[in-house]
Amino acid sequence: MSSSFDQIVVSEEWENTDVSLLETLDHVLNRGLVIAGEITISVADIDLIFVGLNVMVSSVETAQEVLRRRQMETKAE
Amino acid sequence: MTAPAYYVYCIAESASAAQLPAESLPAAIEDDAKLEWISVNTLAALVSQVPRQTYNEESLAEHLTDATWTAIRAMRHETVAEYVAKRTSVIPLRFGTIYLERNSIEHMLTEKSRELEEIIEHLRGREEWGVNVYCDRAVLLSSITSVSPVLRELAERAAQAPPGQSYLMQKKIDALRVDEARAAVNRIVDQIEANLKEQTDDARRLRILKVETTEHGELKAKFAFLVKRSSFEEFRDAAERLAQEHQPAGVRLELTGPWPVYNFVNPI
Repeated sequence: MSSSFDQIVVSEEWENTDVSLLETLDHVLNRGLVIAGEITISVADIDLIFVGLNVMVSSVETAQEVLRRRQMETKAE
Repeated sequence: MTAPAYYVYCIAESASAAQLPAESLPAAIEDDAKLEWISVNTLAALVSQVPRQTYNEESLAEHLTDATWTAIRAMRHETVAEYVAKRTSVIPLRFGTIYLERNSIEHMLTEKSRELEEIIEHLRGREEWGVNVYCDRAVLLSSITSVSPVLRELAERAAQAPPGQSYLMQKKIDALRVDEARAAVNRIVDQIEANLKEQTDDARRLRILKVETTEHGELKAKFAFLVKRSSFEEFRDAAERLAQEHQPAGVRLELTGPWPVYNFVNPI
């Protein structure tokens, strides 16, 4: 692999950066099909959530805790 | 659990759902519930029960201000969507789609069946890949001076000018260099977008959440591409060629995925 090219495969090299956590959260929280549920979280809320998440991601310990849970859950596959 | 609500993760074809029995699926968004498929004719929604006292509008708004609570739920949503996306064509729903009654989901599947089937068909055999473009400013600025004829000439003249004049010329050079660097990044980003678009079925330019400075430099652009599984190698090779081409300008590419196709499902 070229030194100028990084490939992060979401499910395999998960633990290596906290940017991946934010990247994933960005995908899940912000996108996906919006279909009229009886309760849906509005876009305005999502932006607020991100303020908190940025803080959380920079707090390594909390981020690690989220990652650990995710790894446990993925292992269950 | 008193009065449950239903959290919906994704929608697939009933035939595919039948191949993915609920017992084999990852953990649900809340600990004390299991995933289940709600199937109507050709379509099936993957759901789990959630307590209504937590997932009502008021209480949810409260919980969402807790980043850890939200992150854990979002990761579970993601884990479920990824698991299904790896195995079949699936429509990932946006985080936080909740129904109060089971039969409202059945109603939605019936009412929207044509649109949903069209989306599933469009996504079949395709995955979403992300491309992040980073730029190391110091490397870019020094590469700009060596390739720009205008800047080279100014630098030569500044070197020969008397000190006071030379100082002013240097100021001008610095300002020009910043402008040229900005233009160069935009050109490179546009070229990356155009080239990779040719290898893929669809492309989206995504917003950048915050200015991220990493060991690769500053994040300049984020793209999502819809890529056929069968043409992933070509896509990857094209990305690698672009990465090599622009490395001298301090540009790095990062490829992420495969993701559930979050960016390629329009509201219906």
